Order: sequence, then C-alpha cells, then structure tokens
Amino acid sequence: MSDNGRGAHHPKGEMSPEEIAEFKRRADQLGQKIGGTKSEKQAEIEAQEDRARHNRGMAMGLRMSTELVAAILVGGVIGWGIDQGLGSTPWFFLIFFILGFAAGILNVTRGFQRMQAEIEQEKRSLADKPVPADQDEDDA
Amino acid sequence: MPDPIHQFEVKRLIPLELNGIDVSFTNASLFMVAAVAIIFLFLMYASGGRALVPTRLQSVAETLYEFVAGMIRDSMGEQGMKFFPLIFSLFMFILTLNMLGMVPGFFTVTSQLWITAALALLVFLTVIVVGFAKNGVGFLKLFVPDGVPIYVLPLVSIIEVISFFSRPLSHSLRLFANMLAGHITLKVFAGFIVMLLGTAGTASLVAPLPFLAVLGITALEFLVAFLQAYVFTMLTCMYLNDALHPGH
Repeated sequence: MSDNGRGAHHPKGEMSPEEIAEFKRRADQLGQKIGGTKSEKQAEIEAQEDRARHNRGMAMGLRMSTELVAAILVGGVIGWGIDQGLGSTPWFFLIFFILGFAAGILNVTRGFQRMQAEIEQEKRSLADKPVPADQDEDDA
Repeated sequence: MPDPIHQFEVKRLIPLELNGIDVSFTNASLFMVAAVAIIFLFLMYASGGRALVPTRLQSVAETLYEFVAGMIRDSMGEQGMKFFPLIFSLFMFILTLNMLGMVPGFFTVTSQLWITAALALLVFLTVIVVGFAKNGVGFLKLFVPDGVPIYVLPLVSIIEVISFFSRPLSHSLRLFANMLAGHITLKVFAGFIVMLLGTAGTASLVAPLPFLAVLGITALEFLVAFLQAYVFTMLTCMYLNDALHPGH
C-alpha cells in the first residue's frame, strides 16, 4: 500500500489492520522459535539437575550407612575401656553400647534433618525464580 | 582363583629405618608421591595460560575450583573460604588416589585404613584446634544442645560426646570400606571369568555373564571413586562449620 493511503485513514505512526496482523504473525513465529530453544535448554538443565540430585542422594546413602555403626563402635570401646580400668565388666560396656546406639541414631537423624533443610531451601529458591520462559508471554 | 586381597598388600620398595621405626618407601608412598606430582603438574599446566577464555584443561581446573569453593560457601559461608587450601588439597588428593586405583595393576592407596584414618584425624584435630582457638571454652557448647532440661543434660552430653568422637571413625571407615569392597568385588568377578573359561566345558559358555558384571561394576566404581572424594570433602566442610559455629 502507498504512504498516501495510510496517511489518509490513520494518523501518523499507526498501522493498518493488515499490517498489524502481519506483524503479529511474525512476532508469534519468532516467539515460538525462541520458546522452542528455551524449553530445550530448560529440559537439558532439568536433566542435569536431576542427575546431580540423584548423585547427592547416593552420596547421602553411602554416608548414613557408616554413621550408625561408627557411633556404636565408639560407645562400645569407651565402655570397654572404663570396664578394663575399673574391673566392672560388663556393666559400663553395656551402658555405653546403648548410649553409642543413641548417638548413632542422633547422627543419622541430624544428617537427614540437614538434607531435608537443603531440599526445602532448594524448593524455596526455585519458587523465587522468575517465571519459566514459556509462561511469560503476555500476548495471547 | 587369584587372591582378591593380594592387591592391597603394602610392599617395601626401599627399606628404611629411623630410630627403630619402619619408615620404608612403600608402594603406597610411591602412589601418594605420584598423586601429588600429577595434581601439581596438572594444576600448574592448566592454570599456566590464565586465558580469559579458558582452554579445555583450564576449564577443568576452574570447574574443580568452583566445585570445591561452592561446597565451602554452601556449608560455611564466605568465612569458610580460609579453609579452602586444606579442603581443596584433601579433595584433589583423595580424588586422584581413587582414580589412580581404578587403573588396572595400580595400587589403591585409599583402601588402606591407616591412610584414611590419618586423613580423618587431620580433619578431626583441625576441627578441635580451630574450635577452641575461635570460641575458647564456648566450643564445648557443641555438647550442650539448646533447650534440654537440666536433669537429662548429663545423658545428652555423653551421647553428644560419643557422637563427636564417632566422626573420625565413620569418616575414615567410609572411604576405606567403599574402596576396599569395590576393588575386591571387581577382582572376584574378574576371577569368575577365568575360572569359567578354565573349565573348557559347557560352563565356559556363561563366561560372558561375569564379564558384563565387571563392565557394570567398573562404571559404578568410577562413580563411587568420585562420590567418596565428594562425601569426604563435604563432611570436612560440615565438621569445620561446627568448629566455627558451635551450639547449632
């Protein structure tokens, strides 16, 4: 269309309905393109985070398995040592064996509490993040 | 069948004695020296360029730095960074030793309890020294949790003390046991292949099965080698955090 025709029907700086439609179509196309690339990236990042989380879970499991045993061992050895010193076998050994068990449970609970806190913190930071790419398009 | 324990035997390469104490240069010593040399040469070479756009090696070194620094910042905050040299050295040393152990025929230093115990005790003593230096007697608050009624406090304190002293034990046992068990499993399964093939009968047809198992376990062992270095370092950060802020 000519400059003349546009000037006649619309004030300066505005576009005809056809032009607006054309512009919208191109903008949508571009938006879809960008959105596609973004969601691909997003999926990649999510997969990576998933793997990291899986590895962290495994590290946690490897950790906890020895915490309990170590505490029981230490408790038992302390009790046995006192018994050797006082000649009171087996009483202190029995008492400290049970205390060691309690310490082991404490170790494991603490570990899991910490993990829980980390997960919750992660969730909160995820909620604070800006809206993902595909949902921020306000032109609909 | 080959003895699966044989690979963990410490051999004296250069027998030495100092005041009646055996300080021989063993195969374990050799691999520790090799590990330190590898770390030193790798980091020197990788960071030598100091390019703004890193080369491949430089970006590996930077990833390692970021990984450990991130772990420290997450657990201790910015003030934990003064322990960076210790923690980074521990991480690199254990990781390199674990990975060297994965090379067939190489000695796995971290499968020796005395090595892992020495590393764990190093961390344990650092925590105690730093704890008392930073907080004085206040470090003992670690054994007195908040909000515990006075009449159960002695019991709780004893349990806390046991829990505290169980740390170096679990710290060293975990690394040692995982490396030992992994390498024994590998050796045993690899031994099955030879045994099955040796029968030369129909039994030799199933020889590929343990071979597949060995393949899978090897991959798993590489993961474990990294994870154990990570776990050891992460716990070091956690323990040092207790030394900085007792009475959580």
